Amino acid sequence: MRRLAVTLIALALAPPASAADLPLVPQFTEETATAGIDSTYTGEWEYMVGGGAAVLDCNDDGFPDLFLAGGEGKAGFWKNVSARGGALQFEKTDSGLELDHVTGAYPVDIDSDGIMDLVLLRVGENVVMKGQGQCRFTRANEDWGFDGGDAWSTALAATWEKGQAWPTIAIGNYIDRTKDEFPWGSCTPNWLHRPAADGKGFAPPEPLKPSFCSLSMLFTDWNRSGTPSLRVTNDREYYKGGQEQMWKMVAGQPPALYTKDEGWKYLRIWGMGIASTDVNGDGYPDYFLSSMADNKLQTLAAPPQDGKVKPGFIDVAFARGATAHRPYTGGDVRPSTAWHVQFEDVNNDGLSDLFIAKGNVSDMPDFAASDPNNLLLQDGEGKFHEVGDLAGVASMAVSRGAALADFNLDGLVDLVVVNRHSPAQIWRNTTTGAGHWLELKPSQEAPNRDAINGWIEVRTGDRIQSRELTVGGGHVGGQSGWWHAGIGPADSAEVRVIWPDGTADDWQTVAADGFYRLERGKAAEQWTP
Amino acid sequence: MDPLRRHIVLAGLVVPAVAALPGLSLAEDQRPSPEDVISTWYRLIFELIRHTPTYSPPVASRAFAYLGITTYEALAQGKEPMVSLAGQLPGLTAPPAPDPNAACDEAVLLHAVYVEATKNYFGNTGPSGQRAMQAMATKLGAKVSAGLPQATIDNSLAQGKVVADHILAWSQGDGGAVIENMGFPLTFTPNKEPGHWKPTSTIAQQQAPLLPGWGKNRPFAMPSADACPLPPPTAFSEDKDSQFYAEAMEVYEAVRNLTPEQTAIARFWSDDPMLSTTPPGHWAQIALALLEDENAPAGRRAEVMARLGITVADAFIACWQSKYEYDTIRPVSYIKKNIDKTWEPLLITPPFPEYPSGHSTQSGATATVLTAIWGDNFAFTDGSHTDDNLPERSFKSFWEAANEAGISRLYGGIHFRPAIEQGLEQGRCVGAFAVALKMGAQA
Repeated sequence: MRRLAVTLIALALAPPASAADLPLVPQFTEETATAGIDSTYTGEWEYMVGGGAAVLDCNDDGFPDLFLAGGEGKAGFWKNVSARGGALQFEKTDSGLELDHVTGAYPVDIDSDGIMDLVLLRVGENVVMKGQGQCRFTRANEDWGFDGGDAWSTALAATWEKGQAWPTIAIGNYIDRTKDEFPWGSCTPNWLHRPAADGKGFAPPEPLKPSFCSLSMLFTDWNRSGTPSLRVTNDREYYKGGQEQMWKMVAGQPPALYTKDEGWKYLRIWGMGIASTDVNGDGYPDYFLSSMADNKLQTLAAPPQDGKVKPGFIDVAFARGATAHRPYTGGDVRPSTAWHVQFEDVNNDGLSDLFIAKGNVSDMPDFAASDPNNLLLQDGEGKFHEVGDLAGVASMAVSRGAALADFNLDGLVDLVVVNRHSPAQIWRNTTTGAGHWLELKPSQEAPNRDAINGWIEVRTGDRIQSRELTVGGGHVGGQSGWWHAGIGPADSAEVRVIWPDGTADDWQTVAADGFYRLERGKAAEQWTP
Repeated sequence: MDPLRRHIVLAGLVVPAVAALPGLSLAEDQRPSPEDVISTWYRLIFELIRHTPTYSPPVASRAFAYLGITTYEALAQGKEPMVSLAGQLPGLTAPPAPDPNAACDEAVLLHAVYVEATKNYFGNTGPSGQRAMQAMATKLGAKVSAGLPQATIDNSLAQGKVVADHILAWSQGDGGAVIENMGFPLTFTPNKEPGHWKPTSTIAQQQAPLLPGWGKNRPFAMPSADACPLPPPTAFSEDKDSQFYAEAMEVYEAVRNLTPEQTAIARFWSDDPMLSTTPPGHWAQIALALLEDENAPAGRRAEVMARLGITVADAFIACWQSKYEYDTIRPVSYIKKNIDKTWEPLLITPPFPEYPSGHSTQSGATATVLTAIWGDNFAFTDGSHTDDNLPERSFKSFWEAANEAGISRLYGGIHFRPAIEQGLEQGRCVGAFAVALKMGAQA
């Protein structure tokens, strides 16, 4: 009876496309039992959020390796030993990253030595781990002047501010964990780790006040000005007087919040994750914000005027079928709880699709207990269609972090999901009939070798896919390595990089279904696994 | 400062400083008093109201009613001049009387009441709320029990639990005990005729209106849900010469030309669910802070919070009965269609019909009750929202505050004027029933 009721209102809200009308539905094959990964995000109240996954290539073999937060228990690292196009295979590796109390992690080449480092966010002291090569990492807090503090850290974003040889890292912090009777209103300050004055290492962190219990942050060039701002999504459950935030970040100056007078719109949600891509094709990044019940898909509120845009966004999730507010299968009628979000093209049709990890906070009876993860396919009209169950990824586990990445380098984006109190799950994308694809890796001389906050553009015909290269967002987990783009039926595409300093490469044509290193000022170099 | 002006900042309410280690013996004068227990638990209750997703304003009002009644009944049993509400409220029987031969400590008794009551009324709150209730039960429990004979502790705890359970059992049959999908029906067919409510947001869950059956709930002091009827709202019309169009233009122009003071008023009384203690919680904060300010004894605190809880709950039942009787369109829907498609209200338009204004009915009812307790022209300062960075506001009387709460909905762009004026009058009628209850602790 309950299932019928849900069906009825779903029909009233947004008639689903018939299977024949849907974009190509991808097929995912779960390989959790055989992939060699065994990780559970554990812990009670202080681990009700977090559970991030980080993806990076730690041994320069081109295959993405995997770090999974363990919560109260130890985190783990798994080296990718998959064969190209084959089943997903990982080997647990002693990496030096096996710390406890880890909520999540983000890869970023902090010292620009070409070896990826990792920032571990923790309940307690945060730790920067310097990549030593061959999947070994060592603590670098002291060497790099990084004050890891003592907080409940739950978000990270990184960028290189203009003229700086060292990155700026923003870290979001959550509740004051000593406030057991009155945790509400106890949000602790976020931190901004800017470069030290001598350009070597970090200066002492500055509090980023006001802070409102951030669960995701993203440095993003929302207005294509060449200077990224810091978007912060905040959990309204715990702040008082708070809202969503975006900070203007100008090198050498204190951060400043965008204001109502400038166009910023007052929004208060249970902000848990940020994903970004250009959904509406206007050349500006759009943002998906995960929350509880309805989620938000934000586009610019007003079109650019005289090349300028205002920092105001409108929610188009309802119009585009992307609210993902309630379980779509399994019979639980209560609202959903959303965490990690990520745009990727899972069927290579040239359109960004959307994955959302779902799971109850912790025995919260107003919200769904059986809350399937979402996979929303974008169609040519910019609308999204739920296919999580059809694609085989509608897990009912209590999910938190996740990562979509091409683990076996076959051109199809695979999926790993971190679950609270149950093992992480991994799926291989086994879609047949998917479109063509490219995987691209920009690089430049130090600093900022990975061109963070630059852009990759892929042109097929008169259509350009623009993708900002970011460190941050999602839910307490990020990734580095190949940037994937589906190109549909095209057998080649033009690509270029717009580097963080604004310099745009010339367009160059590359053949479909290949991996390309895009070194600044050089021709695209094809790479073969 | 005007000596008559009371200063309300609930965040400042604290239990007297005592050793925090459970089991540590405290001197009698260091133990939290019954008054401290009431204030401390209500501080947590305000947070639970704000942070439990089911707690839309009507649901919150119901909790305030039962919590207030439970507190009052726990203290009133056999304690003249307090008069039990049994027999005065429909279906309520007298809770089991305490053992006259067993010592009962009021602080422990009240603590037990709140441990049991909050566990049930907020059983669906999130992990932080559950953890907070547990922490409060343990820590405050240790403090109030310190130094008391075990038999006194056991008897007091048992009596508190039995009263809370008695009221809880009575509450289950009122029609409001079970809330699904945060109060939004899974199926709903809106009236397609012009002038009726239609969804005002792009939130999928809110394509159906909140709690359409709430007006059928069992009332408390009111004899029936329609005991305070309203005249019909202004006849709907899209004619530019009509009264309805003129009322819509008033809202449209008001929002377009808001002064800073009007904006502050709208924000101050916004009282959004899950972002505040809701309208009934706002008024409960005012009342409790006044009680704290005058260092009221526990019996008076219990009576005030019971009367207030009863009237806010009755007000929402009456208001919801009228809202779904008339099922009228919100300003944002009308103005966008007929006046200016780019217009936006200042406040979030609540997802249910417009007439009458819920906050107005609430405020009329509470002003009636609080005026009956503290009198006309009782000046006070309300700092209920200082935690949210909203400055305190001062009023010369409860009715001045109620009228401001009402007009705030016009400034906010979410109500037409008749819904406010008639809502306040409906509240005045509702409040009189709570005032008429025989209780007696204030003497």
